[in-house]
Amino acid sequence: MTFNLSMSGSDLLLLLPEMLLTVWLCVVLVVDFAMPRLPKVRLAYLSVGGLATVLLNLLWFDRTGVTGTLFADMFVVDRLAIFFKILIVIATALVILVSVDYVRRFRFFKGEYYFLILMSALGMMFMASANDLLSVFITLEFSTFGFYVLVAYLRDDVASNEAGLKFFILGVFVAGLLAYGISLVFGETGKLVFSDIAAAPPTTGLIIGFLLIFGALGFKIGAVPFHSWIPDTYHGAPTPVTAFLSIAPKGAAFAILLRMFLVSLATLKPAWVLLMVGVSILSMTYGNVVAIAQKNIKRLLAYSGIAQVGNILIGLAAGTKMGGDAILFYLLTYLFANLGAFAVVIAVGNLIRSDEIEDYSGLNRRSPFLAMAMLVFLLSLAGVPPLAGFIGKLYIFVAAINEGLYTLLVVGLLNIVISMYYYLIVVKKMYINEPIDRTPLPISTPMKAAIYVCLAGTLILGVYPQPFIDWAVSATLMFSQFTAPAALAVPPTVLPFGG
Amino acid sequence: MLEELTFGFPILSMLLFFPLVGGLILCLLDDDDLIKNAALAVAGLELVLAIVVLLRFIPDSAAMQFSEQVAWIPPLGISYHLALDGISVLFVGLTAFLTVLIVLYSWDTVRHQLKLYFAALLALETTIVGVFVSIDLILFFVFWELMLIPSYFLIKLWGGGAERQYAALKYVLYTLLGSVFMLLGIVLLDLNYHEWAVAHHIEPSYTFDFLQLLMIPIPPDRQVLIFWLIFLGLVFKAPLFPFHTWLPDVLIEGPIGMAVILAGIKLGTYGFIRFSLPLLPEASQDESVVAVMMTLGLLAIIYGAIVALIQPDFRRLLAFSSISHLGFVVVGLFALNFQGLQGSLLTMINLGFSTAGLFFLAGFLYARRQSTHLSSFGGLAKKVPLLATFLLIIGLASIGLPGTNGFVGEFLILLGAFEAYWLYGAVAVTGVIFGAAYFLWYYERAMFGPLPQGLSHAIADLNVRETVIAVSLSVMIFWIGLYPAPFLHIMNGSVQALVNRLDRGSVAETGGSLGVRREALGESKADASPRATSLSPHPSPLTPHGI
Repeated sequence: MTFNLSMSGSDLLLLLPEMLLTVWLCVVLVVDFAMPRLPKVRLAYLSVGGLATVLLNLLWFDRTGVTGTLFADMFVVDRLAIFFKILIVIATALVILVSVDYVRRFRFFKGEYYFLILMSALGMMFMASANDLLSVFITLEFSTFGFYVLVAYLRDDVASNEAGLKFFILGVFVAGLLAYGISLVFGETGKLVFSDIAAAPPTTGLIIGFLLIFGALGFKIGAVPFHSWIPDTYHGAPTPVTAFLSIAPKGAAFAILLRMFLVSLATLKPAWVLLMVGVSILSMTYGNVVAIAQKNIKRLLAYSGIAQVGNILIGLAAGTKMGGDAILFYLLTYLFANLGAFAVVIAVGNLIRSDEIEDYSGLNRRSPFLAMAMLVFLLSLAGVPPLAGFIGKLYIFVAAINEGLYTLLVVGLLNIVISMYYYLIVVKKMYINEPIDRTPLPISTPMKAAIYVCLAGTLILGVYPQPFIDWAVSATLMFSQFTAPAALAVPPTVLPFGG
Repeated sequence: MLEELTFGFPILSMLLFFPLVGGLILCLLDDDDLIKNAALAVAGLELVLAIVVLLRFIPDSAAMQFSEQVAWIPPLGISYHLALDGISVLFVGLTAFLTVLIVLYSWDTVRHQLKLYFAALLALETTIVGVFVSIDLILFFVFWELMLIPSYFLIKLWGGGAERQYAALKYVLYTLLGSVFMLLGIVLLDLNYHEWAVAHHIEPSYTFDFLQLLMIPIPPDRQVLIFWLIFLGLVFKAPLFPFHTWLPDVLIEGPIGMAVILAGIKLGTYGFIRFSLPLLPEASQDESVVAVMMTLGLLAIIYGAIVALIQPDFRRLLAFSSISHLGFVVVGLFALNFQGLQGSLLTMINLGFSTAGLFFLAGFLYARRQSTHLSSFGGLAKKVPLLATFLLIIGLASIGLPGTNGFVGEFLILLGAFEAYWLYGAVAVTGVIFGAAYFLWYYERAMFGPLPQGLSHAIADLNVRETVIAVSLSVMIFWIGLYPAPFLHIMNGSVQALVNRLDRGSVAETGGSLGVRREALGESKADASPRATSLSPHPSPLTPHGI
């Protein structure tokens, strides 16, 4: 194995989005230091502006089909990586918009907050490009560092400190598991790049190694049985950080999971399908059942998030290219619906200083806009047509049924009914119950903008999903050569998703 | 059944979205009187549109008419495909008709949040019309599910009962539980198509289009599985005994408007005749399937009627009478012959006039006595003769007196049932007797005899709006009862095509050879009316032909 680290200009181009973001986060930090009188809200706009340039850059990559690898295949830029980077950038921009009002609550380090958010985003963008096990370790840790600080950002709040500590201890433990797993895989195969490992024979060491890596990634996405940190961390962390945690790291981790399972482990699919089915069923059922009993909206969304991850894992259990498409599309729908729901929680929380579901009583009378937005987001999460969530679920179910995963599907469908119950409880509180306090709730402009973006996303993905499905389909084309032949019953040229 | 006619104007899309758009515009208004008038105007125009559709509908034809198709989600084979045939067209008219009456009824009975109420009602109308005009299974499912949202709010916010919270949640969760299984069944149909299309090198290989799905073979054992999955979705909505427990709760706790829609528009059984029977002909004729469905139907008839017999509350009685009537519809459907199917279809329409009409009258009674319990009635015929008369007319239609619409429908069903197997007919007949018993007994106790204690003040008879509602219902009842021919003509073509399909089995069983279908194409072209143009939606070997 020889490492050639010399880079040409065109190699550097591949890193352009990350470099741009690095520049922007330095700018944010320096401006904060240099101009202490500057209203912090300007920093937010500066960050969003920076992210917009990164987004434009990524869209340009996507259009022109820039692809390539760097650093001896450790870092890859392909359609899949670009897809996930765009997802992460959009999520980050929305999170910054919804943070603006919340940041006023912090007593110190208001400017650094935006810096840390951008830094985590940068880490996750690298995660989306990770193409070998070493870069998985580095990027995963890089992205988590920002979160360690962010989760405990409410310095005087016991819950926030508790959340930070739990997240940190478990996170460090998981980093150990990951390193151990990687060392086992490397010891067995002598390879680190995903596509090189694909050729290796399945040995006990390799399997244990991958199980450990899966555990570490399972922690990242919050799948049962690696979910134990989720409720307390989500509950204690500042709500915008919770919103960020609930989508961006999941997206980035799924990028790695897809590469790992659909490329490295494609030939071993019969062995891991059962694992995926089990984790998926456990996550969906546990998440939904426990969500019913929640009194706090952040905890409710935490458990609903666990269940949603179970849903996404159905796509991984299918283990086909179509499953991959479905995961990508589902993550898009989840991005808007979940961030939107959190945006409403933040807006309400800023005004009434409470996250108890009881305090959502009569929200419709106090702010019809927030109540309507929450209704749309919750129904999309539940999978009610014609919202985005329905198409996402349908896509994933079709992918699973093509592989004959009937049990998984029936459990998934029953879980829709369970989830509907607790989403409807929130709806009932908002629309039916009488408000305790009737004062109208004003909403700030950046918050409104973020909610409008999420509403538009949820509706457009539901009513006109075609271009987004096409995008997801083209992002996963690389998997068609690795997934099992059954998925290739139709020759690639006439793939039903060719267009 | 596979032939499609276009209309040159997207009248179904208009029919579909007009109430929704009208409802949204309503939200911009502020004055209560203006809102009522605007709601009436929207519902009225929708009825006019529906009548135009009915007039332009070519009777005695099995073709899918007014077809509109736009690709929606091509990778999954989902399209926005609307069309009406003899099976669905009458339901659209019925929905528009009942909505107008509900708006009239709600005029002074709904007192708070008028704007939201009418917007929800009109949105509900859109989703129901959507269920009837959708030919794509996912589009159908979208409207099927979407219905729950306005229904939920209608029951919760404007329901009269103390337990309405519980009733609304129960309704949504029960129907959702059934629906998810139906979705699984629908996805299985798609999977079956996919396998077949891949084997025959046909692109695109996914479809949820009813007409496309009709053209491929489905192995009988898979048909049975899909049948039961879809069955679960349909019977919870219908609701068929023993899946009915939400119905009495919702009908009593919810507002009258909602009760009229749930009792009057038979979405569940429509699903059977629209999708289950034609798509799964082998499963539908499977001995055990028929036996189970017939047993459920007969049980529903007798159970509903007996329980109705002992109900002291008029709305609860109607709920169980509705369950009993639904049993008749199921018996007619699974007689699987022309008379049975025709009778079922007509009865589904009839219930929209009779059972739904009785709910309106229950509403009138409720407005006068603040209760529909027997204890607050008695001797009312003297006080409110007009109301009592209409109650008798519509009630007699509901029990199937000759000369009313109920008779025509039930007679055809019984004819079909006897033809299928005499025992089915014999058991079903007893339901007619029970029906007469529970209604007449209740009527006697409520309308004659001594006045209830404490009723000294005068109570008003029907006002103008209420009379309009009662008269228009009675007109329809006698029209269908005395001269059903126009209605039967509208449905005949499609019902005959369905019977033919049941006889021949799914195309698959003929070996799927194109030759057989080409012959059939020749036949259907000969049938086609001259002003109709045949339209093939996909230029593929699967171009729809007549069956």
